[in-house]
Amino acid sequence: MNSLDIAKIVLVLIGAPILGCLLAGIDRKLTARLQGRVGPPLLQPYYDVMKLFQKDNMVVNESQNLYVVMYVVFVILSLLMLVFDADILMIVFVYTVSSVALIVGGMSTGSPYARIGSSREIMAILSYEPILILYALAIYLLTGTFKLSALDNISNPLLMYIPLIFISMLFVMNIKFKKSPFDYSTSHHAHQELVKGMLTEYSGPGLAGIEIGHFYEYVFLLGLMFLFWKVNIIIGLFIALIAFLFVIIMDNITARVYWQWMLKLSWTVLLIISVVNVLYLYVAKIKLI
Amino acid sequence: MLKTTIMLLITAPILFSFLFLALGKSLYKFLAWAFFIVGVVSSIMLVLDGTGKVEVAGSSFALFENIVLILEVLVILFVFYVSAKHKSWPTLALIAIQAVIAAYSYMNVAKVESASFNIDQFSQVMILIVNIIGTAIILFATGYMDHYEKHRHLDRQKTFFFSMSFFLAAMNGLVMVDTLGWLYLFWEITTLCSFVLIAYNQDEESITNAFRALALNLIGGITFSLAIIMLSVKFDISNLSAIGTSSTTAAVALPVVLLCIAGFAKSAQMPFQSWLLGAMVAPTPVSALLHSSTMVNAGVFLIIKLVPAFANTPLGIAIAVYGSFTFVMCSALALSQRNAKRVLAYSTIANLGLIIASAGIGSPLAVAAAIMLIIFHAISKCLLFLCTGEIEHTIGSRDIEDMSGLIKKAPLLTMLISLGMISMLLPPFGVLLTKWVSMEAASSNPIVSIFLILGSALTTVYYVKWLGTILSSSMDKNAVHHLKPETYFPLSFLGLCIVVTSILVFPIYDYFIKPQVTTLLNIVNIVPTVSGQGGQFTSEIGAFAYAVIFIVFALAILIYLATKNMFTPRPAGYYMCGENNLEKDKLMFRNGIGSYDKSSVSNIYLQDIFEENKLTTLGYVISILLIVVALVEVVVL
Repeated sequence: MNSLDIAKIVLVLIGAPILGCLLAGIDRKLTARLQGRVGPPLLQPYYDVMKLFQKDNMVVNESQNLYVVMYVVFVILSLLMLVFDADILMIVFVYTVSSVALIVGGMSTGSPYARIGSSREIMAILSYEPILILYALAIYLLTGTFKLSALDNISNPLLMYIPLIFISMLFVMNIKFKKSPFDYSTSHHAHQELVKGMLTEYSGPGLAGIEIGHFYEYVFLLGLMFLFWKVNIIIGLFIALIAFLFVIIMDNITARVYWQWMLKLSWTVLLIISVVNVLYLYVAKIKLI
Repeated sequence: MLKTTIMLLITAPILFSFLFLALGKSLYKFLAWAFFIVGVVSSIMLVLDGTGKVEVAGSSFALFENIVLILEVLVILFVFYVSAKHKSWPTLALIAIQAVIAAYSYMNVAKVESASFNIDQFSQVMILIVNIIGTAIILFATGYMDHYEKHRHLDRQKTFFFSMSFFLAAMNGLVMVDTLGWLYLFWEITTLCSFVLIAYNQDEESITNAFRALALNLIGGITFSLAIIMLSVKFDISNLSAIGTSSTTAAVALPVVLLCIAGFAKSAQMPFQSWLLGAMVAPTPVSALLHSSTMVNAGVFLIIKLVPAFANTPLGIAIAVYGSFTFVMCSALALSQRNAKRVLAYSTIANLGLIIASAGIGSPLAVAAAIMLIIFHAISKCLLFLCTGEIEHTIGSRDIEDMSGLIKKAPLLTMLISLGMISMLLPPFGVLLTKWVSMEAASSNPIVSIFLILGSALTTVYYVKWLGTILSSSMDKNAVHHLKPETYFPLSFLGLCIVVTSILVFPIYDYFIKPQVTTLLNIVNIVPTVSGQGGQFTSEIGAFAYAVIFIVFALAILIYLATKNMFTPRPAGYYMCGENNLEKDKLMFRNGIGSYDKSSVSNIYLQDIFEENKLTTLGYVISILLIVVALVEVVVL
C-alpha cells in the first residue's frame, strides 16, 4: 500500500460523507421546491446529525447500536472496494452485509413497527439483489473479469451494451435510496405511516450513525451508476447525477405502493429485461477486451 | 502405516457401536468423549499418512470378500424382513429386484482378484468431516437424547447410538474404498442405518417416512448395481478411479449417468427430495448427521469422483443445469417455510444442488468450489441443526416465529446459531466464498448462472428473516436454559471450526483441494491460477478479499466497544404509538372498543406465491425431465 492509496482512503473516508451530506441537502431542497416550499438550508442534514449526537442514547436493546456500526463500516468498505476497483461480485456481497446489518438491527429492537419495516426491507433485498448480481455478470461477460480495474482498459462505455440493465439499476437506486414509491421499510420524509419502520427505535447517536451511513451509501450507489460510463469521467458523473435526479423526481411524483407490487415489478419486468440483456451478451459474444 | 489407519477408521466406529450396545446409559457420556477423541486422532492420522493406494490381496482378500458377501446378503434379508413386517410393498418389490440383480451379478460378473483403497486428498477431507463432525454430533446426542426420550416415553438409546456409530463406520469405508463392489456394500449400509434412525420414534409417521427414505434410496441402489454390472461386463472396470481415466469416456457415459442418479437419490436432489424432508421426524442429531457429515455427502462424493467422466461433455452441462435448478427451486421452497427444520432441509438440498452444479461445470475452479462447499456446508449445517434441536428443547417449538426474543432467553445459543446462519450467507465465511467461486466459474453458462443468481438472492432472504427473528429482543422472557458441557462443547467447537476453516481457506485449498482437482481432471495446473496472497482468494477473473472482511468485522466490534461508553445507553421500552397499556403488559395495544389486544408481528413467507405443493410439482416435472434428457443424450450420442 503506497502513499497514494492511503491518500485515496482518507479522501473517501472524509470526502464521501461530505458529498453524501450535500446530496441529501440537495434532495431536501429540490423536494421542497417541487412541493412549493422554501425548504431547509443546504446543510440541514449536517445540522441534524450534529443535533442527534447531542441527544441521549436511548436504547431498547443494549446491543442495537452494534448493528449500526456494522452497517456503517460495511458501507464504507464497499465504497472503498469500489474506489479501489475490486471484484464487483465481491462488492455486492459486502454491500449485502451492510443491508443485512441494518435489517437485523431493526428487528433486534423488537418493536412491532421496526419488525414490519425490516420484513419489508428483506423483500426489497429479494427485489434488487438478483439485478445487482446480473449487473456484475454483465461486466464479467463484457470484460472477461469481475475485477473493475478492467473497466479502465475499455474504450466504449458499458451503457452502450447493457441499456436494459441500466434501466433496472435506476429502479434499484429508487429501492436502495428508500424513496417513494418504494419507501415502505423506512423513509426520510414524514410519510411513513408505520412510524419510522425499520428505524423506529433508533434515536440520538444511533440514528446519527445511520444517517452518516446513508451519506456513504448515497455515494456508493451513485458510484455503481458511474461505472456505466467510466470511460469518460465527466459523462460518468453526469450519468450518476441523472440517476440521482431520477430518484428525487420519482420520489415526488409517485405514491407508495405495496411491497408485493415492487416484488412483482422486479421479478417480472426488471429481472426479465436484465436477463434478456445478459442473454444478448452471451449470444452476441461481445467482448470489450 | 496407511493400511493400519484405514483399518482403524473402519473398525474403531464398529467397536464403539458395539460398546454402546454392551454398556449402560450412564457410561454413554464417557464413551462419546472417547469416540470424539478417537475420531479426531484417527482422521488426523490419515491426513498425516499421506495419499496412496492400498491393495488388499491374497488370503486376507478372500476373507474380506466373504465378509462383504455375507453382509450384502444380510442387508437384503433385513430389508425383506422389515418390509414384510410392516407390509411396505414398494420396498419389498425394490429389494426383490435388487436381490435378483445381486444374484445375477454374483453368477455372471467376473470375480476380482483384489480390492483396493484409494486415499486421495478428497478422501482425507471427507474422513475429517465424518470423524470430527460425526463424533461431535454423537457427543451432542448424549446430552440431548435423555431429554428427548423423556418427553416421548421412549427407551431406544441403544439402537440409536449403535446405528449412529455404525453409520460413521460405513461412511468411512465409503469414502476410502475404490473397489465398486465394496463401495456398494457401504452405500447400502448407510441407507439401512438411515432407515433405522428415521424410524426411531416408531410411530406411524416415522415408520412411513423411513420406508419412503428406504424406497427412494433403494432406487438409487438399483441404478448403482446396474452400473457396476455394466462397467464390469462391458468395460472390465471394477474400480471407481478407473472410470474417469478410462480411454472410452464417451462409452462409459450410461453407467456414469446411472451412478449419478444413485448419487442424486442419496443426496436427496429433486425428484428424490421427499425422503430428506421426511427424515425430519427423527431426533435432531440424526438430522444433523444425515445433513452434514454423512448420508447426503455420500451422493455428492460419488458425483465429484465421477467428474473426469463427464467434465466438458454435454452430460456435464446437463448435470450442471440439473444441479442449479435444484438449487433455485429448493431455495424458493425454503422461503415459504416456517418450520426451522424444513428451512434447513431445503437449504441442504439447495446447497447440494450447488455442489452438483459446480461438479457439472467441470472447470478446475468449479470442481474446487464443489469440494470446498462440502467442507464448509457440513460444518455450518451441522451447527445449525444441533442449535435448532437445542432451541426446541429450550422453547418447545421449532417454528421460526416462536423463536423471537431468543437472544434474551439463551444468549450463547443464539450467538452460535447466528454465527451458523451468517456463515451460510455473508462474506468472509467459507460458504459464500465457494458460492462466489462457483458463480464466477459458472459465468460461461447463462442458464446455470441465472439460476445461481436467483437462488442466492432467495437464500439471503430466508436466512436473514430467521436471523432477525432470533436476534430480536422481546419484553417477555419466560424460558429457563440449562448449559450442559456435552451439548455446548460440540456447538462451540463447531462455531470455532467455522471461523478457523474460513480464515485458513487458502491453506486448505492449497493442501487438499488443488492437488485433488489436478489429479481428478488430469491437468498440471489449475487455470485460472488461484493465489492466496494478501489474504485474498485471487484468480484472473476476480478476487475474494476474505482477510480484509475479517479485519473489518473485528474493527466494527472494536469501534462499537470503544464508542459504547461515550454515549451512555439509557434503556427504554419500545414505542407503541401512545396506545400502550403500560399497566398491564407492555406488548398490548388498546383497540377501538377499549379492550386490549396483544401485538404480534410475523415475517413475510409469501406462501401464496411460493406455495410448497405447487413448486414441488413443478420441481418434479422439470427435474425428471432433466434426468430423462441426460439419459437420452447419453444413449443417443
